[in-house]
Amino acid sequence: MSDILQFAVLGFSTGAVYAVLGSSLVSIYVATGIINFAQGSLALWGVWQTAALQANGTLVLPIGSFKLTDGPTDTVPALLIGAASCLVWAVLAHFLVFRPLRRAPVLGQVVASVGMMLLLQALVTLRFDADTLGLDPTVLIPMPILPSDTFTLAGATIAVSNLILAGIAIAIAAGMWAYLRFTKMGTATRAGAEDERALRLLGYSPDRLAALVWGATGFVSGLIVVLAAPAIGGLDPTSYMFYVVPALSVALVGRLTSVGTVCAAGLALGALQQILLFGTTKDWWPSWAQAGVGDAIPFVIVVVALFALGRSIPERGSAGVGRLPRVSVPRLRPLPVAGAVAVAGLVIALTSGTWRFSLVMSAIFTLIAVSVVLLTGYLGQISLATMAFAGAAGFALSKLTTNAGVPFPFSLFLAAVVSTLLGVIVGVPALRIRGAQLAVATVAAALAIEAFVFNNPSLTPYSGALIKDPSLFGYSLAVREGTNIITLRFSYLVLAVVVLLLIAVARLFGGATGRAFLAVRSNERAASSAGVDVAATKLLGFAIASFLAGIGGGLIGYSSGQLSAASFTVLVGLTVLAMTYVGGITTITGAVIAGLAGPLGVLYLFLNQSLDLSKYYTLIAALGMLLRAVVFPPDGGPVQEWLAARLPRRTPALATGAGSVTAGSVTAGSVTAGSVTAGTAATSAGTAAASTATAPSAGTTDGVAASAASAASAASAASAASAASGGPADSESSADSDSVTAADAAPSIAARSADAR
Amino acid sequence: MPAEPDSKQRLLATAGVSVHYGGVRANDEITLAVDGGEIVGLIGPNGAGKTTFVDAITGFTRYTGTVELGGTSLDDAGPHRRRRAGLARTWQAGELFGDLTVAENLIVAVEGGGVRGALTDVFGRRRRTDQAVWNALELVGLAELAEHRPDQLTLGQQKLVGVARAIVGATQVLLLDEPAAGLDTEESVAFGGELRRLAASGLGVLLIDHDMTLVLDVCDRVYVMDFGRIIATGTPAEVSADERVVAAYLGSAVTT
Ligand SMILES: Nc1ncnc2c1ncn2[C@@H]1O[C@H](COP(=O)(O)OP(=O)(O)O)[C@@H](O)[C@H]1O
Ligand SMILES: [Mg+2]
Repeated sequence: MSDILQFAVLGFSTGAVYAVLGSSLVSIYVATGIINFAQGSLALWGVWQTAALQANGTLVLPIGSFKLTDGPTDTVPALLIGAASCLVWAVLAHFLVFRPLRRAPVLGQVVASVGMMLLLQALVTLRFDADTLGLDPTVLIPMPILPSDTFTLAGATIAVSNLILAGIAIAIAAGMWAYLRFTKMGTATRAGAEDERALRLLGYSPDRLAALVWGATGFVSGLIVVLAAPAIGGLDPTSYMFYVVPALSVALVGRLTSVGTVCAAGLALGALQQILLFGTTKDWWPSWAQAGVGDAIPFVIVVVALFALGRSIPERGSAGVGRLPRVSVPRLRPLPVAGAVAVAGLVIALTSGTWRFSLVMSAIFTLIAVSVVLLTGYLGQISLATMAFAGAAGFALSKLTTNAGVPFPFSLFLAAVVSTLLGVIVGVPALRIRGAQLAVATVAAALAIEAFVFNNPSLTPYSGALIKDPSLFGYSLAVREGTNIITLRFSYLVLAVVVLLLIAVARLFGGATGRAFLAVRSNERAASSAGVDVAATKLLGFAIASFLAGIGGGLIGYSSGQLSAASFTVLVGLTVLAMTYVGGITTITGAVIAGLAGPLGVLYLFLNQSLDLSKYYTLIAALGMLLRAVVFPPDGGPVQEWLAARLPRRTPALATGAGSVTAGSVTAGSVTAGSVTAGTAATSAGTAAASTATAPSAGTTDGVAASAASAASAASAASAASAASGGPADSESSADSDSVTAADAAPSIAARSADAR
Repeated sequence: MPAEPDSKQRLLATAGVSVHYGGVRANDEITLAVDGGEIVGLIGPNGAGKTTFVDAITGFTRYTGTVELGGTSLDDAGPHRRRRAGLARTWQAGELFGDLTVAENLIVAVEGGGVRGALTDVFGRRRRTDQAVWNALELVGLAELAEHRPDQLTLGQQKLVGVARAIVGATQVLLLDEPAAGLDTEESVAFGGELRRLAASGLGVLLIDHDMTLVLDVCDRVYVMDFGRIIATGTPAEVSADERVVAAYLGSAVTT
């Protein structure tokens, strides 16, 4: 008993972080309707900033840095400056990213907030380095700030600092609650999203009220993490970033409205995780469940919260998902497909070593990106668990080939079946929730899988899970042969699998499945009134998407000969989503761009070899994501509108075939391509985009053809593809659905502002 | 007058259907029947509970009471099953699929999805568009617009696409929630003619509309609803002479 008490109190340090991050998420949601996945990354910056100040007084800025004090800064100023840096980031995020997106589709908002999350994490890694700090960043530790006294209670040793942290968390949550509940400004904030005009008439600026919430929540998030960090452990460039997941799960427990419940649930979750950790040290605890249990809890909580609380979690903007970019159904033409595949085969044959390897990785990531296009682009279900599905297949492949000795084609297929089953399970919450909340559930699932399966030593040995090389009828298809790191045979195997599956997906998109998906994406209740089984359709989407990702994961496994958990982290998954969104989330060509730009793909190698810029890869992905979401959103954004209004339309003849390709959209497409290929390709992208756009067929050429063709030259293919996807997708403005969004948002806003208990 | 089929078959029968929204009784013990070949009107002032009734019997909102289609109970079936069983509805706000063309909006309602559909998509031959789709578009006069997107259509045309989408497939009873709201007088008259042709083919139609000329003109029978209750029923002539009805609704609607 005393042990349990001791561990529960120990858990208050992480619990306090969950409580404050969760309360902040709720406050931001109440004020702006945004679910901010970047809240943990914000705090991450603050911890590093305070640690740097306490080490040698360095104040780090996104660009540049200076010595604030000679030698270490005093504790209190360091703490306040660290928290204030989070405040600044939060306010910047509000004005530069979230405020422009306040009327955007949910997907755009989720992508932007994931973009912020990646951006801050990438900046922490890049900026807090030895050059800037003047010392080795690995020696930085969070210095204790709170008193280190302990006392004994009922036989348990209790650290005073943990009680103080819990107290601070409760005080912060109480402050937020009181502000929203009792002050005039807080009431106005709650009403703000409901009726901006009325708010203005009352003399409030909705912008400033929202900025206040962003700033305050940024500050307290930074504050609590800086205070708790010494108790939680060392500094690393990602840890606190993913604290947002448990925080999101307790925010869902509080129905995204009740700050008090969230605070209590956060503290309880922290305590529960420590108690479980204590339990894992016991003899009776099953050995397979010794690692990762704590990290799996948030997903369990999300699922329980969703099913126990039923539909009572207010939703807003679910109609916004319908405003995804327009879709032009791919048409399969045998000749272009065959030609493109031949070109791809030729390029693979002509390259060798790392370049060929990156081409093969691009092909694999194209497949994984297509799974995102299918599930998120076509079906409108925002899933952040793609790489977890892929990894699960890789994991299964290792067991199937080394333990069970299943031979090649069956091993890959069965591995993908495993991830299909997993996908269906993870898809179950999608029957209850949509939009950003589904993104929360899937990211929680992904973290749970990562912690419980990939990083669990009893399931995945530290030495790595080996995968036997594939062979067919005694003919080896192994990836390596002697010093050759990637054989032609293996490359062609990957190409064949990917091309066949892309063709299958193109056929799905053009058939009954694609129509049913788009019907569900447009309007769920209309779909069921037309006889579409919405629940079954969503699960089918999750099944197919996770099957595709599973094949991709299996191929990744075969390409490295063993499973490395690092290939399948949530971070990689977010990067894939980023790249797919940048490339065009509703087209197969978008997936091809994502493949070329994806992890370890052609772009990565190009950055690495030609420019030595690979350390900026995540930063580039995050910036691409943010630019695409804020400046060139696929559903038509400010830049496209501005250009469309000023530039003459292309010849009307084009308007019939692939939707009207406006000069404006083409320009936007090429600029995006430019940002992907790090500037150097921008010029050629522009030219290629323009020339492709003049041929009407380019817009409808199916993605498979473009896929293989793209292997020929990364830059020109990327630009061609972006022109192909950019044309029909970007040129359609989305004014039509404004009324729907407004109408559907109204009741949910009312529900949201009705209670902030 | 619509053609009378020889033997009237009872298609839709509801008994004691009630819906509560919080403390509000939006539907109170609605018992109503629609036979094959018959156009039945359901009228009443705004907020009377007409849409709620359609939501209930198509499975979009919880209700007590029973709903039968062709003698089979639908009470345990979800919305898509009721639609596939033959009970089809339109929506007051159109609710088309903005990402699909007009023709595809209809195709979705006739083709089967699911795993089998997916396998057919991948391995089977391309399916030709069902003739029923063209027939339905023909019927509402929108065949030339088949390849357009819904947002390129007028509001009235969008409503008609919604009607066409509800007709295709094995529809037995058609529930129309204010289908004529976006139509001008001429279009509304034409629409009345189309409804009669539909009914003549054996379909049962429940028509909710505020266009009294249309309702009184095409309906065989009319139910009048107010405050969630049926307050009168009868032929158009009987109903429009009923004092309670005039008091509740017609008084203002007819004279304006
Ligand atoms: N989803 C709902 N939740 C709560 N009340 C509702 C809902 N839908 C309708 N109502 C209420 O039920 C009553 C009947 O509405 P409705 O069926 O739309 O009327 P009608 O279609 O006859 O104009 C109204 O008082 C309306 O406010
Ligand atoms: Mg109504």
